[in-house]
Amino acid sequence: MKRLVLLLVAILLTGCVEKEIIDDINIEVAVGYDKSEDGKGYRGTVLFQQFQPDQSVENVTFTGGGKLRQDLLLEVTKQSSEPVVTGGLKLAIFGPELVKEGIYDLVDSFQRDPSIGARLFLATSEGKSGDLLKGEYGSRGNSKYIYNLINHNIEKRDIPKTNLHLAARDFYQKGKDLFLPRLKQTGQDKVEIVGISLFQEDKEVDILPVEKMFFFKLLVDKYSEGNFDVKTSEDARAAIQSIRSKHQIKVLNRRAKINIEIYGIIREYTGKVLTPEIIKEVEKKLEDQVERESVKLLKRFQELGIDPVGFGQMTKQQHRNFDFKKWEDEYKQLTFDVKCDVVIGETGVIE
Amino acid sequence: MQEQPIPDRLKISPFLVFYLIMSMQIGIGVLGYQRIIALKAGYDAWMSILFAGGCIHVIVWMMYKIGDTVDGDIVTAHKYIAGNFFGKVLSSIFIGYFTLYSLTVIRTFIEVIQVWMFPEMSTFWFAFGFMILCVYIIFGGFRTVVGLAFFGLVLPAYLLLTFGWAIKFANFYNLLPLLDHSIKELLTASYYMSLTFIGFEIILFFYPFIKEPKKSQKWAHLAVLTTTLIYTVLAIITFAYFAEEQLAKQIWATLAMWKIVEMPFVERFEYIGIANWNLIILPNVCISVWIASRLIKRIMNVRQKIGVFFIVGAVLVLINFLDTREKINMLNDYIGKMGFAFTFIYIPMLFAAVMIAKKVKKKKGKKR
Repeated sequence: MKRLVLLLVAILLTGCVEKEIIDDINIEVAVGYDKSEDGKGYRGTVLFQQFQPDQSVENVTFTGGGKLRQDLLLEVTKQSSEPVVTGGLKLAIFGPELVKEGIYDLVDSFQRDPSIGARLFLATSEGKSGDLLKGEYGSRGNSKYIYNLINHNIEKRDIPKTNLHLAARDFYQKGKDLFLPRLKQTGQDKVEIVGISLFQEDKEVDILPVEKMFFFKLLVDKYSEGNFDVKTSEDARAAIQSIRSKHQIKVLNRRAKINIEIYGIIREYTGKVLTPEIIKEVEKKLEDQVERESVKLLKRFQELGIDPVGFGQMTKQQHRNFDFKKWEDEYKQLTFDVKCDVVIGETGVIE
Repeated sequence: MQEQPIPDRLKISPFLVFYLIMSMQIGIGVLGYQRIIALKAGYDAWMSILFAGGCIHVIVWMMYKIGDTVDGDIVTAHKYIAGNFFGKVLSSIFIGYFTLYSLTVIRTFIEVIQVWMFPEMSTFWFAFGFMILCVYIIFGGFRTVVGLAFFGLVLPAYLLLTFGWAIKFANFYNLLPLLDHSIKELLTASYYMSLTFIGFEIILFFYPFIKEPKKSQKWAHLAVLTTTLIYTVLAIITFAYFAEEQLAKQIWATLAMWKIVEMPFVERFEYIGIANWNLIILPNVCISVWIASRLIKRIMNVRQKIGVFFIVGAVLVLINFLDTREKINMLNDYIGKMGFAFTFIYIPMLFAAVMIAKKVKKKKGKKR
């Protein structure tokens, strides 16, 4: 008798929570936000994936507007034949006008929603983010395409590590500012990374062009697998690959000492013979270039009053009772001393 | 009235005390203690955890001394110092304490499920199902409850590994500079650790059920030490993972760290983690309901089953009144304060009283 009651309870109680069957819901996989035409609130574009019988993915977008993220969901739900869930969101893109006004409210709503993961990529776009999401990229769906685009550029190329958690952490961390990768739609089926948006608080204040991204990543993150070209003479260039890098930053008496260590392999050389002297020269050239460009970048950040490298945070870690108000003035007077050390380990399989 | 001794076949081996204490300590507090202590002592708060853990060892030692002196549980100890009637009055306070404790645990856990997974889930029906399971387990006797405590700790232990994902994104320099806060702030943080740490006081209630209680003392200390270390390491990982102002916004920092977990077969690990947490919560509720019903039995001389039904009924009624975050938070606050008062103020007082009573009784014995 007792067992029967338990069994009954077990069966009856399973129906207590609403079921969500994967075929009967629309999973939001990417979202783009733009400023609305009338200037109040924003216009959002939500991207869903519809899996076709031949295993390809159809991109379906809905747009809606509002003042809150939930307004958008509400409007999209009105247009969608299936209920909308946000658990699979992988990508959020902010349009150019919106980032200038601030994205804090939206980032906050992502953090507040328990079903949204911390690995969500945030990015800015040149041109309307809605148009970017409405393209047709690859056969695995736009969201997957752009997600992978950013992801492998983080792992192997020049975008510093980023995701929702890291962006939010940089935003909340005193003495460090936020940066996000910047995307551009170059054709109906093409999208590319065109730089890094630098933020002050939650507003975009500057855009780092692609050429500077290598030096930026050396300063804020470490390389595990990068590459870079060095021009040695008029007609000779060397491609350095598998770059691994480390940086060490110390702030003492208004002087920031930055040590960058780079280890790489030469994969391509367009000159005649690759002698040890030329390798030395390549190393020297790269060192000079890194030192020069890094200082330029840091000076630029200083002028703009932003601190994506996190000098403030690092100085705080070395001082008790740290005063961030005072630091703002001190940062303006900070001098930078960049030392770079390049080691070329191998030169490929031929001499 | 002479107390009945507990027959040997109902007693537990000394080493099981380790699992009992740890599974009672680790419950809901661990889901969000990092924020509370960091608000008080910033990122130096991990030192407060070590300090609080150290203090607990003294309390554990006192509890064993009390149990050893009176040769019984807290009811015997109360009788020893205050006589039969007043002793029972004192003991009956703890029926309320443990009923509230089980209520807090289960309601907070349901809140977590409602916020993180199923907002529309009914509080009452989940609690009802959960309580039926508890009643079933408690009717199996104390040894079944202990067995559950063992599994409730060992099976979900793998969850500790899942915080490895957070380490990948951690910046341990966040903890610097050390000692940026005053001693007073550090002590306040230690005080706020109490909700997370309470649970070890159950020794006083199941003392007579331990075979060779003296041998179990080292296991009790080991349990407290392990919990302290787990809490400290978890706090350090959390501090390294979040920026300080970001952590201030995380109600359940431990769960928020699961948002970064990435596995090929599951998009959101929180669902697995929270479902598994059920197993951690179960011994918490079972042990506290068992203790409360045992107290009813000892004080009122009724069968334990009646006590169990009474307490489960009370919990199921009271749970309906706790419907907002504010009220749940308030309850958590109260139970934390009560736990603090009980463990760090009442137990030392009881210890002193028992020691004095022992001296007085010895003198009387000599005179006779």
